[in-house]
Amino acid sequence: MEKSSKLLVFFIVLTVIGVIFITRLFFLQIVDTSNYYKALAYGSNEITIYPARGTIVDRYGKLLVYNDAVYDLMAVPQKIKNIDKLRLCNVLQIDTNEFNQRIKKASKYNTREASIIYKSLPFNIYSQLQEIIYEYPAFFIETKIDRRYNINGAAHLLGYMGEVSEKQLQVEKYYKPGDIKGVSGMEKSYELYLRGIKGKKIVLVDKFSKQQGSFAGGKFDSLPTAGQNLIASIDLNLQEYGEQLMKNKFGSIVAIEPATGEVLAIVNSPNYDPNVLVGQSRNRNFSALLLDPRKPLFNRALKAPYPPGSTFKTVQALIGLQEGVLTPDTKYPCHGGYHMGSLTVGCHPHASPLDLEHSIQQSCNAYYCFVYRSILDNPAYNSVQDAYLKWTQYLNSFGIGIKTEIDLPEESPGIVKKTQYFERVFGKNWRSSNVISLSIGQGEIGLTPLQMVNVATVIANRGYYYTPHVVKAIGDEKILLEQYKIKHKAMINIAYYDSVIAGMARVCKPGGTAGRTGIEGITICAKTGTAQNPHGAHHSIFIAFAPRDNPKIAIAVVVENGGYGAEYAGPIANLMIERYLATDKTITSRKDMLDRMLNSNLVGSSVYDAPKPDSTLRKPLLPLTAKP
Amino acid sequence: MNYNRPEETIRIDWLTVIIYILIVSFGAMNIYSANSTIDHTFVFDLSMEYGKQFLWIGVTAIIVFLILIVDPKFFNFSGYGIYVIVIVMLLVLLGTGVINKGAQAWFKIGSFKLQPSEFAKYATSLALAKFLGTFDVKFAGKKNIAICFGIILLPMALTLAQNDTGSALVFVSFFLVLYREGFSGWYLVIGLYLATLFVFTILFPSLYLILVILIICATVFYFFKKYNQMLWLTLIVFFSSAIFILSVDFIFAKLLQPHQQQRILVTLNQDVAEYYPRKAKEFSLFKIDANRKDKKASKRDYSYNVRQSKISIGAGQWFGNGFNNGTQTKAQLVPEQHTDFIFCTVGEEYGFVGSTTFVLVYLFFIGRLYYMAERQKNDFARVYGYCTASVIFFHFFVNVGMALGVLPVIGIPLPFMSYGGSSLFSFSMMLFTFLKLDANRVNEVSSVY
Repeated sequence: MEKSSKLLVFFIVLTVIGVIFITRLFFLQIVDTSNYYKALAYGSNEITIYPARGTIVDRYGKLLVYNDAVYDLMAVPQKIKNIDKLRLCNVLQIDTNEFNQRIKKASKYNTREASIIYKSLPFNIYSQLQEIIYEYPAFFIETKIDRRYNINGAAHLLGYMGEVSEKQLQVEKYYKPGDIKGVSGMEKSYELYLRGIKGKKIVLVDKFSKQQGSFAGGKFDSLPTAGQNLIASIDLNLQEYGEQLMKNKFGSIVAIEPATGEVLAIVNSPNYDPNVLVGQSRNRNFSALLLDPRKPLFNRALKAPYPPGSTFKTVQALIGLQEGVLTPDTKYPCHGGYHMGSLTVGCHPHASPLDLEHSIQQSCNAYYCFVYRSILDNPAYNSVQDAYLKWTQYLNSFGIGIKTEIDLPEESPGIVKKTQYFERVFGKNWRSSNVISLSIGQGEIGLTPLQMVNVATVIANRGYYYTPHVVKAIGDEKILLEQYKIKHKAMINIAYYDSVIAGMARVCKPGGTAGRTGIEGITICAKTGTAQNPHGAHHSIFIAFAPRDNPKIAIAVVVENGGYGAEYAGPIANLMIERYLATDKTITSRKDMLDRMLNSNLVGSSVYDAPKPDSTLRKPLLPLTAKP
Repeated sequence: MNYNRPEETIRIDWLTVIIYILIVSFGAMNIYSANSTIDHTFVFDLSMEYGKQFLWIGVTAIIVFLILIVDPKFFNFSGYGIYVIVIVMLLVLLGTGVINKGAQAWFKIGSFKLQPSEFAKYATSLALAKFLGTFDVKFAGKKNIAICFGIILLPMALTLAQNDTGSALVFVSFFLVLYREGFSGWYLVIGLYLATLFVFTILFPSLYLILVILIICATVFYFFKKYNQMLWLTLIVFFSSAIFILSVDFIFAKLLQPHQQQRILVTLNQDVAEYYPRKAKEFSLFKIDANRKDKKASKRDYSYNVRQSKISIGAGQWFGNGFNNGTQTKAQLVPEQHTDFIFCTVGEEYGFVGSTTFVLVYLFFIGRLYYMAERQKNDFARVYGYCTASVIFFHFFVNVGMALGVLPVIGIPLPFMSYGGSSLFSFSMMLFTFLKLDANRVNEVSSVY
């Protein structure tokens, strides 16, 4: 072979290798795109920047819920070298043994990745640490946001936060493992507004997960948008007052502003401090609450249907009037009760016969047995069953037997039975006498305290209610959701309310069933109720609204095992009304009644001793009052 | 010959110098990209390797200047001397060298490490050129051939003894020079044929392979039996192939170190855990332990580097992420990226367009060196030129092939690109010595005095 042609061989070899390499490059870089996506996943870390969660203030702008930054001391064990250990331990207020153990534990987990060395640094330690941390390159402080509650009650209303479950992670792409979201109360129902929009920062990380600066100069990064602040309709003062009054009693108070449907207070007892479900002791406290036989986590106001007892007579009267089977002047006799064959519905002694107004004042059982039977046996309907069906439609228009659709999770629709139920129990041709107990709100009927207050609201408004809601306004634009602007009309003509309201106005005056609970200077329209309880003492029930004209507040109180309506529920409701309407929130004209309520104990030895929040939780740094 | 010195600089092959400067600068850029971190961004930060590389480039400039002012006869004159010095250094290293990455290949001078095997290529090139450039010496005759082989194999063996297999393999490139000087091309073809057989034996059962070769030999014999020695030729090819195939297991499992076996298996896309049991079942002259287990014998471990390398290059797509923006690069996910795997940075940050341009420019550079070598008027300069071009070519081929996953991982640097003082010095010395000889070629009367 000629020597110069050997050079050609070299050139051919170079060309062949060039072709092989370029073909391979084309395959790796252009054809096989999987490498590109692998690289994206390997080399960059999308860091989520969590937005500040919206705060919640009460109707007067007093802060209820806010965020606090919590600081964790982190360390990368591998990098801990030649440090002044003693000084760090002094600041952290732990001994060197403990410190060594924590470092050991962290390095056992991963020596190259940062682990928490000290969770939720107390503020004094945090501020001292800030001054010396630069001398400890392996250590850094990570900021996280945690929820704080500026009230030690209203836990069921405000709700709590919890880690997003795996199931939810699959459904909702917004969340990532380890994220927290509202699990109950307002935190849950307003999650979409409170949570804001996450920001993200794509950073390059090296093989040790150490950040190596932003990706593509931050082109794909975004800033978080803070969650929207909420203005709750709650009156913090009234809420706390209600919680005091319910101390050592089990039950519930719900108060609503009738003209708007805004919930003013929603008290449950037993209650707990929402601050116990944040911070380090959350899990321990949560299981304590969950396992407590008194069910402090149970939201009675929304979930417990009670027989409404005599408070139901107001509804019966209105339906009777609307159906035309009753007039304000209709009188029925009562001789110790309602008798029909072997059936007797007992009644307490009072004058007889009574008209409608006085039947409410006196809460006559016999009167409403007559009324209810006339409703069910109305010849305008083909059968009792048809009449009952119509009756349930009336109830539904009051929000009874259906969910009120309040803006809080897990509401019970209460109990209103269908005709089929009675067919099963009493046979196909059941009669009005079979369900006579319904006339006085006993038996196959159950109303949640929320539904009871809704009845009071309808009467106060003379025929309508707005869906109860606990949030007055959302965000800076102060938006009220559309569904709370819709008037729900009860199927009762406005003309029929007068006589019922006149009767209710007599209840808290001398001669009424709650005659000794009245408040000087306020016309309270009320109805007592005493729900028979097969498990023990009667439940004390009370619904009311005030003032009579242009009502400002409607209220329902249920005190479990509180006896007659006038014994506990009545005084509590009237004290609440007084407090809400008074300009000076510190005095009461019924000191005697207040003391009796505060000092009473209906639960005996099972006084509820709620878990205490973490002592390290800081007081808010934010101003406590924002502009409403 | 002082009188003609001013003209020499003009005769330097500036095109090669410009490409050299481009490649070295591009290399420094890529080292900066692969090596700088968020804490270290200052370009001349001497605590970082990219910073040191600038220092090496500065030192290289001085070395290059010294080479260019030296009388070109010096290289011919001192060829054997430099060779002897390097051989002595390699011998000394065997006892005292600093062990780094498994190889005892470094002298430690202060905080810097010197790798004599890098200079061994330079010394061997000079010595081989000197020998073949001697008047009346040709690559012919048993004695001359033996001396040539000796010059090449002595440093190769010493490097191998340091456990620096990659650097030792580079000496194979000198056989390309011998091919130019008269060594039969058939030997290179046979080498390629054996390499192919080796690969096929790993991939397929030995007996099937022998059967296939038998069929091919028989077919060839049938069609070409009119030629006299065809029977003997085909018989020799068949039997030697069969013996080689049957000894592959021995070469592979016994002569190669476990990590080398793994790297080869990974390149051939074989499951390491599955290979030995499969081979143990086959007919073999050498018994393979089916249950042999290396401590880290999982495909994942050994394929990590190549996998990350391929991902990095693949991530570049058409145009790449741009300078200092490679996600894999900045994350330092590819081990040895600033040294042996520097091509990953090119792939990721400059994409298909950039990488292709780089490959083409580099191949043009090598081709230019071969072209220049061929135009030399004396044997010393020509042989030396072929040595320079072949060593650079071998490095380029193995290094880029490894990064692309078409060759097993062999840790040798990409000339002028990879981080490292020793390799930059030695390649620059090699290149500029040749450029100096090339510049002086017009002053040479002829190879025949």
